[in-house]
Amino acid sequence: MSVFYDITVSHFLVLAAALFTVGIAGVLLRRNALIVMMSIELMLNAANITVLAFSRGFAGNNHEAAYQGQAFALTVIAIAAAEAAVGLAIVVTVFRTRRHSDIDRLTMLKN
Amino acid sequence: MSNLPISKCLSWFGVSALAISVVFGFDLSIAAAAADHAAESTVNTFISDEKGGGGKGAAFVFWIFALSSLGGAIFVITRNNMVTAVMGMVGTFFAIAGLYLMLYASFLAVMQVLVYAGAIMVLFVFVIMILNRPEDEPWVMHGILGKGVAALGLLYLFKRLAGILWEVKDVQPLVLDKAALNVDVVLNHSDPALAAGAVEAITRTYEFGSVEGVGYTLFSKYLFPFEAVSIVLLVAVVGAIAIARPTEEESAEDAAEAEAAKEAS
Amino acid sequence: MITIVPNDFLYLGPLAVLTLVGLLLILAEAFAIARSRRFLMQLTVAGCVMAVIASIYTWRSLEPGGHVTAFSGMLLVDRMSMFLCTLFAGITGLIAMLGAAHQHEYNWQVGEFYGLMLLAAAGMCMIAMAGDLITIFIGIETMSLAVYVMTAARRRSRAGSEGAIKYFLVGAFASGFLVYGMALLYGATGTTNLQGISRALAVTHSSSLTVAAIFMLIIAFGFKIAAIPFHMWAPDAYEGAPTPVTAFMAAAVKSAAIAGMIRVFVQALGGDVVPFGQMGWSSIFAIIAAITMTVGNIGALRQNNIKRMLAYSSVAHAGVLLVGLITAGIAPEGEGLASVLYYLLAYSVATVGAFGVVVWIGNRDRERVLISDWYGLGAANPAAAMVMTLFMLSFAGIPPTGGFFAKFFLFKSALMAQDGALMWLVIVGVLNSMISIFYYLKVVMAMYFREATGEFKPLNSGAVTFVLVACGFLVLQMGMMPSRWLSYLGV
Repeated sequence: MSVFYDITVSHFLVLAAALFTVGIAGVLLRRNALIVMMSIELMLNAANITVLAFSRGFAGNNHEAAYQGQAFALTVIAIAAAEAAVGLAIVVTVFRTRRHSDIDRLTMLKN
Repeated sequence: MSNLPISKCLSWFGVSALAISVVFGFDLSIAAAAADHAAESTVNTFISDEKGGGGKGAAFVFWIFALSSLGGAIFVITRNNMVTAVMGMVGTFFAIAGLYLMLYASFLAVMQVLVYAGAIMVLFVFVIMILNRPEDEPWVMHGILGKGVAALGLLYLFKRLAGILWEVKDVQPLVLDKAALNVDVVLNHSDPALAAGAVEAITRTYEFGSVEGVGYTLFSKYLFPFEAVSIVLLVAVVGAIAIARPTEEESAEDAAEAEAAKEAS
Repeated sequence: MITIVPNDFLYLGPLAVLTLVGLLLILAEAFAIARSRRFLMQLTVAGCVMAVIASIYTWRSLEPGGHVTAFSGMLLVDRMSMFLCTLFAGITGLIAMLGAAHQHEYNWQVGEFYGLMLLAAAGMCMIAMAGDLITIFIGIETMSLAVYVMTAARRRSRAGSEGAIKYFLVGAFASGFLVYGMALLYGATGTTNLQGISRALAVTHSSSLTVAAIFMLIIAFGFKIAAIPFHMWAPDAYEGAPTPVTAFMAAAVKSAAIAGMIRVFVQALGGDVVPFGQMGWSSIFAIIAAITMTVGNIGALRQNNIKRMLAYSSVAHAGVLLVGLITAGIAPEGEGLASVLYYLLAYSVATVGAFGVVVWIGNRDRERVLISDWYGLGAANPAAAMVMTLFMLSFAGIPPTGGFFAKFFLFKSALMAQDGALMWLVIVGVLNSMISIFYYLKVVMAMYFREATGEFKPLNSGAVTFVLVACGFLVLQMGMMPSRWLSYLGV
């Protein structure tokens, strides 16, 4: 059972892929705007785990590559925060004009 | 195609993505046959190798964090009560921070807890309190068929991704002790004007993933992205205030209501 | 190993100007220095003009075909990026003029609008000058966040907030794919630097990791340019947003996304062959391009709202631009890249002009966004009808307009790539151009051959008139004297 004892970078990568899939599932299956946004945060976190796992993999023989990954992950965290702020502001705006945040009941735009 | 509800938009987006992944599936087999192992050979780390100081203890910790982050994620997307979902999300973020620590990203682990669990999730809780609405029908696809198709598609995507990512590990375990993680960085100014000013090369040593190491990277090679992120944050702050503050009529209404309440009391 | 050279700051030109003037505008709004919104608009236009001058100055200082890296490879400045910066700054200036008139007429004076618009333009310049995946990501997010906010800026409008949340949720979903794709690309090549990626891929060809990364990136960029099947947000967001913001989305955001695709696909992942070559991206894009052109045009045929019609038409144009991108990818020594840039210029100018007429024609009582609202414009106001006809002809690719030459040039270079491997795609494109003539001419017919329903009370704004005249002139000039523009593009 060395799969369970010898943890490799691949374990982290596959875990990240699983989190990414769960995030997509949340976006596809839920209709509450806030839960959809949280699922998107999950996807970004999965991407960050991927970056850091690769960075850990490169750390042994290529420090520059490894640090690129860390800087990238930090950027992603900062931008995810900005995105959440704007998204929540838009949700509040929608709520102000129509008193609910169910994304499927927004059907005003017609052709 | 016109006037799709948003969830249909998102589903359509996801289903198209899956469809393209099927098309790519054909291509992947060709590419995988022709792949050489350059990428694989650079990534060759056994996190829990005996010599690296991990062993079964590290494996145990990994599985705890992995299961709690994955379980937390599934918990989040299945909750009907939004506050519960946010709490699940906080737990997930803590578990992910633990994973970062295992990956020698201690600074990022701290940032993960501070920014995600500390700031973003608090923002979510505030908005939930503003909205204060119970959720009626939470799931998008009502039919068992739709859910089945979506689940199968997602499982297929996951299988492909996991298949690719599982191949990344290499057979040679790498010894990763403290010494290997100490990084020597030479700071030199190639600009002759600065070099002429008797700026000597500075050699410094720090631990990989520490605040010092990441900070050094951010303020030298990554100076531009570091500064550019501040523009994104500014856009977010100004934009959020610009659209979320009450309009003039709404503030007038609120003031009138407050006035009426005062008089009533 | 690590250096910040003072010289690097010289290449920041347009980016720095746009950011600083954007900050100034936000401060001016916050401290109410300018009660008059007109002043904010003038400052915006001045900032854009300065940015155009800065980019032209930088363009002249660069060698043709050469490039400079700055900030340890984070920025890669060449003549193409400066051309695009000029385009972005110019479009932003023109749209600021439209925005002022529209805000005044429909009473949604949001002062932050101008500052956000300039910061969005700064994000676009960041994409055009990007030398690293991180820079592209930050640029895309700067631009997108600002545009989400601008879409929702007309706060009393329910359609605006609905379009904004649709745009935001789908956009954030796509940016999840973008980050994951970049993460996988980083894992496959060990670097986030675009030149580094291209060097690494030259050695390793294609591992399955790279292919998975390309798959994620295709989804993300497909969303940004509204290529089918990732287009479903576009008609609603375009219709819900205030008209100047729609123009901004259709012209500037799409061009910036194409700029990002040039950097990532053509320059970093380049050197592909069809069909199903080393990377596979050009084959996938060829299929997407064919579907995008066809479905976009058929969708546009059914619309009677002019904003939705232009939305579908911009989807169709994204398909044509993809043909150019594939050409540039599979035949790097050909004229594919220049043809994409020329097409972007012609398309953006016509888009700004067309939406300018949409802004001009409506007023507070009657916004006139249905095609039936345009009946009889030719008799009531011949000049406006003629300008609109020019833009429609340019979209449809009929001489003597810029659109005709752009389409001709793009398809010609596609035919010459790899011994006609893209022949079928060019045939699909030409057939689609013929379909598109129907709905563009529907507008022209409505203007000239129908009786007016009610008196026209257009916006009486000098700025809007200036935009219409400038765009009309450019469309004609690009159609009749393309050689000058081609010489700027190095052909």
